[in-house]
Amino acid sequence: MKRLHEKYQGHITLLARLVLGAVLIVAGGLKAFVPAEAASAVAAYKILPTPLAHIAGYALPWLEIAIGLLLIIGISVRMSAIVSGTIMLLFIGAISSVWARGILIDCGCFGGGGEIDPTKAAEVHRAYAIEIARDVGLALSALYLYFFPYGLFSVEKLANTGKEI
Amino acid sequence: MSKAAKSGGDHFTRWLVIGMVSLVVLTGVVFSMMSSSTKANESFAALKGYTLAEPVSATLDTAAGSGLVLNPGGAVRIDLWEDPQCPVCRTFESSLGEYIDTLVRAKKATVVYHIASFLGSESIRAANAMMCAADEGHYLDFHQSIYLVQPALENSGFFSNENLVKIGDMIGLKSEKFTNCVTSGSKLELVKTHAASLPTYKVQGTPTVFINGKLWQRASNGFDLSEFRLAVEAG
Repeated sequence: MKRLHEKYQGHITLLARLVLGAVLIVAGGLKAFVPAEAASAVAAYKILPTPLAHIAGYALPWLEIAIGLLLIIGISVRMSAIVSGTIMLLFIGAISSVWARGILIDCGCFGGGGEIDPTKAAEVHRAYAIEIARDVGLALSALYLYFFPYGLFSVEKLANTGKEI
Repeated sequence: MSKAAKSGGDHFTRWLVIGMVSLVVLTGVVFSMMSSSTKANESFAALKGYTLAEPVSATLDTAAGSGLVLNPGGAVRIDLWEDPQCPVCRTFESSLGEYIDTLVRAKKATVVYHIASFLGSESIRAANAMMCAADEGHYLDFHQSIYLVQPALENSGFFSNENLVKIGDMIGLKSEKFTNCVTSGSKLELVKTHAASLPTYKVQGTPTVFINGKLWQRASNGFDLSEFRLAVEAG
């Protein structure tokens, strides 16, 4: 088992990098060009005071894009893994918190967002569960990258050939 | 992983990467904020050339959740519950607002406005400003303007005190009293009283209309002017 993992670790790292990176870029990209919507989506969580929520709404999409690019190219993978893992944990915490408080919102994960119709409660709760599951999966990918940051096709590895793995 | 990689060069790369990421995020934030403020200015354009109508004094009906009463003693009494950020209230205003204004100005009906503010802090701020405008005798003007500029999204930062003062300024509410009232939140207690009236009247959403104390249940999907007119005329 251990040997098997050693053999494919480079592939798994590459896969984790691509998946996590692509999700971050798509999610960030959809939000970055509708800043008012992103700000409003963060405000709808009612966790941060509104002005702070707006700054978070403006900054988060760009951070996601930057980290996503780093992951795909393969630079500072470990650091990017820490940041993206933290972002995922924040999302999980935020969604759990609105669920627990009974607030019905569109998570704003892929653009859009805000408060929605109370009659759709069941639907929204299922959506919360799916979002949490997805973010847990992505957080696990980030955790894997933290321990095994060096894989195939990464700029970083090329720069350090011979010293790594 | 080898310890050899943790050389001085590696530290340099790390700081370079952190610096680049910060730069990207910072540029992005500036870009986002600028495009947001352009959008806000576009909304304000809807108020260009607005002229204040004749002032209408507003009193408070303390027996009915301190609703703002316009033209007391009319033949018909219309009670309205609206949230300044609610998009359906904007539709309501654009379909029926003009008719309701004429009912007040021609003294055909008493109209009582109850300002809901359950959509968040920006509703509370906007409600406060609307009540300040009522003190100036220009509730109807300010109310109409709020819906003219209403952003598509709630709590997007648009209804700041600064922008609310600007809305007043653009339509001709320039008095220091109004500005102070908006910026210091003088009417926040009244906003709370209005908000508390929703459960008392079993109002579950906005806009909600009572005609002579009876809930107006519309038959059509939208807000049909002739349907509403008939309901008002029937009393």
